[in-house]
Amino acid sequence: MKYLSEYRDPAIARALIERIRRTATRPWTLMEVCGGQTHTIVRQGLDELLDGAVEMIHGPGCPVCVTPLEQIDKALALAARPDVIFTSFGDMLRVPGSDCDLQQVRARGGAVRVVYSPLDALELARRTPDKEVVFFAVGFETTAPANAMAVWRARELGVRNFSVLVSHVTVPPAITAILTAPDNRVQGFLAAGHVCTVMGWTEYEPIAERYRVPIVVTGFEPMDILEGMLMAVEQLESGRHVVENQYVRSVRREGTVPARQRVEDVFELADRKWRGIGEIPMSGLRLRDEFTAFDAERKFGLGGIVVSEPAECRAGDVLTGRLKPPKCGAFGTRCTPEHPLGALMVSAEGACAAYYALARHRVAEPHVVAR
Amino acid sequence: MCLGIPGRVVELHNDGGFPTGLVDFGGVRREVCLAYVAGEVALGDYVIVHVGFAISKVDEAEAKRTFEVLREMSRLDELEWIADAIEPSPGEPRDALSAANGRPR
Repeated sequence: MKYLSEYRDPAIARALIERIRRTATRPWTLMEVCGGQTHTIVRQGLDELLDGAVEMIHGPGCPVCVTPLEQIDKALALAARPDVIFTSFGDMLRVPGSDCDLQQVRARGGAVRVVYSPLDALELARRTPDKEVVFFAVGFETTAPANAMAVWRARELGVRNFSVLVSHVTVPPAITAILTAPDNRVQGFLAAGHVCTVMGWTEYEPIAERYRVPIVVTGFEPMDILEGMLMAVEQLESGRHVVENQYVRSVRREGTVPARQRVEDVFELADRKWRGIGEIPMSGLRLRDEFTAFDAERKFGLGGIVVSEPAECRAGDVLTGRLKPPKCGAFGTRCTPEHPLGALMVSAEGACAAYYALARHRVAEPHVVAR
Repeated sequence: MCLGIPGRVVELHNDGGFPTGLVDFGGVRREVCLAYVAGEVALGDYVIVHVGFAISKVDEAEAKRTFEVLREMSRLDELEWIADAIEPSPGEPRDALSAANGRPR
């Protein structure tokens, strides 16, 4: 076993698709809240193969895509400073800010470095004591333990020229925001396997109970996603609404406790803006007061940067399932991966970029089953 | 972004009390922080790695079980398809409602 290729078996995938189609007595609408799952679903055409039995709405599950313009502009301001080396995961470099992106800042001479891990950024700070190294700490709960550990280690090792620009968001408040929207169509959720690897699934139990929606913790390979869909459809058909775990090889109910603990040590819950959606109460993380010295926003006085989202990008409608990307007036014309209006067209995990890459302009409307 | 890749722990290290290890991802090897799985991981175990951190140990028994259940299911369905091919069920295959009613699970 390599725990990877085995879960891409076409014969098993075909059997799962057939089983979902046989189980569904009516079309069901599910949402995945994970960019990795969106990528697999669109690239493999899993929703098309289901032929209308299940419509997948691609939720706000790509951290690159939900990072608000304001945080991007703060990153750009930092990266342009001559005393700063700005470090980031690679997928943030092409996200458009108000008037440019990090790649353009780099082309103009700004020190912007791509790192694989926040610990690499910390190591860079130790090696270049005459520069300020700032890391762009974006991500969901999956990434929070890594970023928390970088800050924790910086304090432990006494590294004073390291700080983080925090833009952390958490999944359960976004799910609740979607479920309480007046025009919500989502009937069940696939919860993100790696978010739940860290956090477990106890936070989702009151949501499933209160809003009467099945929530299935699901992995990332085609077979994982199809099995997750099948489990959700079986619940919907039998009128159940509980949290189930498809991704048993990685996820335990209580999550990875030491990782959760380190996140708790370093971060606290805070209100956060989501690109295209707006502010969701207590939907993100910020550094605790005892780690203020590592907060780039305070260190460099960025509090004055307040930006609103561009009007033409309808990211919020796409992220909440009101609009399929190809139905957007700017899709493929004024908004392309080369010249994106918004983040959803940038990241490979963004719904707009995923549709664009496959030229899936035709799949604008859900199929109708059993006419 | 939340991409996590399974890899096998091939060396265990300790950087002044900070547990790390060399993890093999199908031939590509990288030093990974093992602090969050330190209590449960041994040489040869598989871990899920995200941005340089192991976030869980792969439960090999569960992984095999899931795979076996799915494979068995596809084998059974394969047999049903053969039966269906000999005696076609009513309704178009596109029609999920009649398919659900007309075919045994």
